[in-house]
Amino acid sequence: MMGSFKPAKKDEEDGGGNPYHNVDKTSVLQEARVFNDTPVNVKRCTHVLTKILYLLNQGEILSEKEATDVFFAMTKLFQSNDLVLRRLVYLGIKELCGVAKDTIIVTSSLTKDMTGREDQYRAPAIRALCRITDATMMLSIERYMKQAIVDRAPGVSSAALVSCRHIMKDSPEVVKRWVSEVQEALVSDGVMVQFHALGVLHQIRKSDKLAVTKMVSKLISSGLRSPYAICFLIRIVARLIEEDEAGTDSRLFDFLEAMLRHKAEMVIYEAANAIVTLKRSSARELAPAISVLQLFLSNPKPTLRFAAVRTLSKVAMTQPNAVAACNLDLENLIQDVNRSIATLAITTLLKTGSEGSVDRLMKSISSFLNDISDEFKIVVVEALRALALKYPRKQSVLMNQLADMLRGEGGLPYKEAIATTIITIIEDNPEAKEKGLDHLCEFIEDCEHTTLAVRILHLLGREGPRTRRPARYIRFVYNRVILENAAVRAAAVSVLAKFGAQCESLLSNILVLLQRCMMDTEDEVRDRATYYHAVLSTKDSALIHRYILNPPQYALASLERALVQYLRTDTTAAFDTKTLPTAPPPQEEKKTPSIMETASRPEERVVPSHEKYAEQLAAIPRFARLGPLFKSSAPLELTEAETEYMVRCIKHTFLNYIVLQFDCTNTLNDQLLEGVNVVVEGEGWEVEASIPCPSLPYSQMGSCYSLLPIPEDIMSTTGTLSATLKFKVRDCDPASGEPDTDEGYEDDYTLEDVEISVADHVQRAARSNFAAGWDELGAANELEDTFALAAMNTLEEAVAQITQFLGMHPCDRSDRVPDGKSSHILYLAGTYRGGHEVLVRAKLALSDGVTMQLTVRSDDPEVSEIIASAVG
Amino acid sequence: MGMFDKLAFALGLKKREASVLVIGLDNSGKSTMLNHFKSEDQRTTDIVPTVGFNVEKFKARNVGFTAFDMSGQGRYRSLWEHYYHDCQGIIFVIDSSDKLRLVVAKDELDILLQHPEVRNRRLPILFFANKMDMREAVSSVKVSSALGLERISDKPWHITASNAVTGDGLHEGVEWLTNQIKENVGNNNK
Repeated sequence: MMGSFKPAKKDEEDGGGNPYHNVDKTSVLQEARVFNDTPVNVKRCTHVLTKILYLLNQGEILSEKEATDVFFAMTKLFQSNDLVLRRLVYLGIKELCGVAKDTIIVTSSLTKDMTGREDQYRAPAIRALCRITDATMMLSIERYMKQAIVDRAPGVSSAALVSCRHIMKDSPEVVKRWVSEVQEALVSDGVMVQFHALGVLHQIRKSDKLAVTKMVSKLISSGLRSPYAICFLIRIVARLIEEDEAGTDSRLFDFLEAMLRHKAEMVIYEAANAIVTLKRSSARELAPAISVLQLFLSNPKPTLRFAAVRTLSKVAMTQPNAVAACNLDLENLIQDVNRSIATLAITTLLKTGSEGSVDRLMKSISSFLNDISDEFKIVVVEALRALALKYPRKQSVLMNQLADMLRGEGGLPYKEAIATTIITIIEDNPEAKEKGLDHLCEFIEDCEHTTLAVRILHLLGREGPRTRRPARYIRFVYNRVILENAAVRAAAVSVLAKFGAQCESLLSNILVLLQRCMMDTEDEVRDRATYYHAVLSTKDSALIHRYILNPPQYALASLERALVQYLRTDTTAAFDTKTLPTAPPPQEEKKTPSIMETASRPEERVVPSHEKYAEQLAAIPRFARLGPLFKSSAPLELTEAETEYMVRCIKHTFLNYIVLQFDCTNTLNDQLLEGVNVVVEGEGWEVEASIPCPSLPYSQMGSCYSLLPIPEDIMSTTGTLSATLKFKVRDCDPASGEPDTDEGYEDDYTLEDVEISVADHVQRAARSNFAAGWDELGAANELEDTFALAAMNTLEEAVAQITQFLGMHPCDRSDRVPDGKSSHILYLAGTYRGGHEVLVRAKLALSDGVTMQLTVRSDDPEVSEIIASAVG
Repeated sequence: MGMFDKLAFALGLKKREASVLVIGLDNSGKSTMLNHFKSEDQRTTDIVPTVGFNVEKFKARNVGFTAFDMSGQGRYRSLWEHYYHDCQGIIFVIDSSDKLRLVVAKDELDILLQHPEVRNRRLPILFFANKMDMREAVSSVKVSSALGLERISDKPWHITASNAVTGDGLHEGVEWLTNQIKENVGNNNK
């Protein structure tokens, strides 16, 4: 197309053959004036427009004026009937419609193309039209859209349906009116049309589960022709099964199984994938799906082999026995020319294979490890981690392999995965600890990644002092102070201090090293060295414990807010850190969903963090003087799902008050609620103030609040409150939301009780060294009691329940119960409202239920008492 | 215009091309008027309010016209000016049965004449006093005085009573416009 365009010789040299390499925004915008010429010079305009599109796709930003000018110039190209040029214009409209003003100008021209005779124009015109049309203009094109959806040309129909999905985002009500047209498209012959129609239909109905179920059962019995549509249906069905808790013997599951025998490979794979990813599938139900995947393993198409081996490797994580049947085929795939397939085959085998085959597999891994990309190396590392946890006896072999890999080439994510694996092994198996630490020490001697070096140093600080010969690690740590950048040096100084604090014999030497660190060029390093030197020199164990081993951990944002507030008020009194919330320990990282995740996932509700709540509450004048927010509970549903009104309660604990936040949602579209309030009543609790929600229209969430002072007597700070939703109903028109009448009537709705438990008064706190803290707190306020937890059958269950009851954080990884043990000790740490430190030791023994000996220590006898009373 | 084009024009070999802008208040009959110029098989039966603009092509006396049929609705009138620059003639359609809004039409015309792209050019303007068949329609002379057309001295203009539905008067008007444009092109080439 660009034959007439001859790049200069220079361009050819540095442009690498890309004729647009030297395109520049200003000159292209100048050239765009050619659009205004009459008659239209098709060849030149095509070329310039291509350049503009190229620029936009390279991320060039046009200002509103530039974009509008180009846009209007471009509209003049509608004069020409050249096919290529017109389609470029459509693209241009779509690219510029976000920036340019008055894009509505092309509406009629696009409508004309969309209803015209030229099929080549119609589909792209529909897509462009839907991009420039906003919610207010939707009515004017509605008629054309309806026609297009049921058009005979599959391309046109598909374009209209896909556009529907985009329109859904802004004006779902409009698309809902087109249901009958969409349904008509669903029986179309076009494979893509059917797929797109099903997509739109599902999106329209997805909030109404009953409708989805009805649609699915109708489609299952009538049958779809398009394999794409069937794949989509399989995903919907899989989700329904997952949500419904319906047994696997249902019709839905039969459908999935029937689809394993479909003639299209795509459908077979989708069905197999759906069955194996269902959480409830038992080994018997898995078998047919696995055998289908097994057939794919020897398929000549690499895509199918890849899909199958990938799915199998996922299943192998949870159900290795089910996959074991495929071992023979997987072995063959190790030699596959496609390295990705080979990698996945090996890692799957690592999960399913027996202990004996590990050595052999390790050998074949190392032979091709250099040929594969980092991403797959990480997959291998993950497999090794799983293997190490499964066969502790093989850990030495694995550790050597990991150490080799650590020495090899690779990016940060890869190295991080290896380090994490080694750390996991160390944590799991105390015998492997010293060896693992040695490997890591060796690694940080030559590690270019600051974050990783800091992480490993931190681990050394935690584990090193407790090994048999802590002195040997000092050299590695101090080398960091000499050789590395400031961030690593600072971390190394902190680690030195931890060694000094825990190893009496090394203290004098550590002090000398710290003194040398005080000469550092970086102030943070000097500050830390000076600080630790000063603390360690006192030789006061309480001080060392408080400021080195278990330093106070405040939520920084709250600390900042508290300090700002403090500076505004009376500064003669000392700042009290006790009222500050401690930083909750970081949650376990959630795994990022992989690319192949089924498309139709329920949107996860984002739970606002502590900080966000604090800001929301501080914005309400009534609550502004309550002081810093101590803790917010997780949202608690007070209604069944899918009732008329949905209410969630969040408990916010302050120093002397509890604020109950009720998030209410009105799910009736013919009612407008006003003056919504939740009345709570409970013995010993009185509501000091309540803030109702003035108006609650359909499907919007509104919040009302109740403020309750916490009783003085610490023993009555827990209890149960009954809750009733009170409001005034005004009937309204479901379509517009406008109330029909001025008069409303009062009504109420009983909610489930709100429980205020001990956990609401306790903030989780991390303690890196529980034993030191335990001794430090002393036995002064110790309480001990023995309980029989008859309802619990396993130690894991007991650990989880106790942690939840007390709302405290497990320390020293004591929340993990080793397999096959009949007794366990759980260490918990937390901060009671008002800044009281609380530590709990729970000795658990399994014997016909779980017997627990609970020991509580804190700096306040009453706090100890209430914690001890929480269980039971 | 290139050398060859000039030659072609001089010899009268090449078909002439001209683009015109069709403007006027909403519901004055612009799209209906253009619909009439199309060949029988391309005409549409239902005319809906134009949103933005449409490009229509028709031929009259060996000149190919490209007409930009602009939307007349209030909020889109500000967009007309984007197309002033490259038109060779303007067709202004007036609903002569809508006496109330004649002043609005006059306002729009004044804004048009004041626009820098129009003021300094000798653009021929053709006025259609449309819907003359309506009982309440006023005569083209009255429309002319209501719009104050006599003030326009620097541009050729012409007013014709028309009926866009039947096509009465349309050809007469377009004939005048064709001549004007031909004359303009002739002047430019000299």
